[in-house]
Amino acid sequence: MQSLSRADAEAFLYHEAELIDEWRLEDWLKLFTEDGLYWLPIGDDKEPGENTSIIYDVPVRREERVFRLLETPVPSQAPPSRTIHSVTNVRVQSEPSDSFVTVRSYQTITELRSGDFRQTGLGEQRTFVGHCEHRLRRDPDGLRIALKKLVLLNRDISIRNLTFIA
Amino acid sequence: MTLQPPQDRDLDLDQLVLEGPGTFRVHTRNYTDPAIFQVEMDRIFGGTWVFVGHESEIPEPGAYKTAYMGVQPVIVTRTDDGTVNVLFNRCRHRASVVCREPKGTANFFRCPYHGWVYANDGRLKGVSYRRGAYEDDWDKPWGLQKPARVETYRGLIFANMREEAPSLVENLGMAREWIDRQFNMSPEGEIELRYDPHVLDYHGNWKFIVENTVDGYHGNFVHESFWKVQEKFGTASGQHGSYVEASVDELIKSRARTFNIGCKEGHGLARQPYPENAVDNLLKGEFADYYRELDDRYGREELLRMLSNTFTMVFPNVAILHSQIRVIRPISVDRTEVTVYPFALKGAPEQLNINRLHGHERFYGPAGFGMPDDVEMFALNQQGLAANSVDWLILERGLTREEPTESGDLTSDHTDETPQRAIHRAWKRLMGSPS
Repeated sequence: MQSLSRADAEAFLYHEAELIDEWRLEDWLKLFTEDGLYWLPIGDDKEPGENTSIIYDVPVRREERVFRLLETPVPSQAPPSRTIHSVTNVRVQSEPSDSFVTVRSYQTITELRSGDFRQTGLGEQRTFVGHCEHRLRRDPDGLRIALKKLVLLNRDISIRNLTFIA
Repeated sequence: MTLQPPQDRDLDLDQLVLEGPGTFRVHTRNYTDPAIFQVEMDRIFGGTWVFVGHESEIPEPGAYKTAYMGVQPVIVTRTDDGTVNVLFNRCRHRASVVCREPKGTANFFRCPYHGWVYANDGRLKGVSYRRGAYEDDWDKPWGLQKPARVETYRGLIFANMREEAPSLVENLGMAREWIDRQFNMSPEGEIELRYDPHVLDYHGNWKFIVENTVDGYHGNFVHESFWKVQEKFGTASGQHGSYVEASVDELIKSRARTFNIGCKEGHGLARQPYPENAVDNLLKGEFADYYRELDDRYGREELLRMLSNTFTMVFPNVAILHSQIRVIRPISVDRTEVTVYPFALKGAPEQLNINRLHGHERFYGPAGFGMPDDVEMFALNQQGLAANSVDWLILERGLTREEPTESGDLTSDHTDETPQRAIHRAWKRLMGSPS
């Protein structure tokens, strides 16, 4: 199988970013493999799940997260976050396997909760940035995320409200 | 005519925490006045036992971690003889911090400014270019200063700036047996802070989270979304608290039987009983051996109490609840940092500890399904407090139905503000005692 081109990798990551920023979260869930993991570590852990994570979303946890955001009243998302995910520095890493490919990128997430922006906790435009690793499975009908690992720059210091999809 | 800004008014404690028959009100200023915050740092964080760490964070001789007593930075060290020391993180020379790392191993701390060296028990060991610059016996008093008292209970390290304070154990009061029940879930009777903490800060007063930790009234409103996640998904992605192997229905019923206690020392306790019939599920499940051993050792009645979902807020700055140690750090009158350490139960099956960790992640941390919503309330509080035309916060719920306990504390329905009143009574007592 040919290796994934950078253009195709970018197209996929831009598509994911668009789904998240447009709050099309059910479509975002469908981008994952059936055992896909969405992981935001705190420490320099090699293996997910052995230490505390900011987000350690196995499939059902990810479903819970989207259900909570879309179908329940969430005080920390009232008003909701507006986000822009900027994806840069996309590199495709060759892999021994034909069915998987790893794509690395930088992700800059700018977030703002507006509403009455004069109120405490609102009206503050925040930036979250980190390096991201997507391990993608090359299915016949397209790419699927087996692992999305986002290592935030500020992962081990105080983070206030990361209840939107990072 | 002279201007009398509000801060110049005398601080009359009886006008800040107003108590009377059927009345319990706290003044707006307690949450917004920087002058009151300064006195709190002196008389509360400098006036009683303050949590600074757990022994599992400094297991080996030479280990250290940094912490705060109020706004004062400290280093907590373990010397070669095994003793735990608490040292103010401030060079006696020109006030630089001598330790900039959150934790590590060091037998000495070298001040980065002029190179003075202190041993990890605080003694001054070396002054650079010493000869001729100071008297020969001059350096004896100039080691790192220390708070007057350091005591530990079940590995929890507390320091107290007051020499004449009652013992830590005496000050823990009822909280002690609640801590015991949590820690006895470890077959070795010990917890271990082996996982990374979640850290968050909020724009609000430190007392908000102290009150919130033992608030049983807010759950159905603030955490409605989490209850809905539990209703739809059950425990599919993790157990929150100790309703392990109980159905969501049983969980809802046991919530209704929760009670709380407001302690004379200012601590707040709350317990949600464990559904009795769910114990059989535990004794047949994945960790049957582990639970059977606890059942044999403590008996069913005590085991049920141990399995309960408990919240133990040790005034002023540490709480033990679910599988976490929660540490509260006041930064300014309207800024507070909270560090939440998930803990492991030593000797329990590894998978059980991992399950508890993931259950913890489900609710806590900046992306959890619960805690960010509590923190959002603090922003709302701080915003509302800006309407300082309104003088009082009202903490009168349950005043007419709370009852005394054998231990000299007060108990009530878990939605009542009994623990919150205990907090403010302790606040008043300490604020009224000059250092």
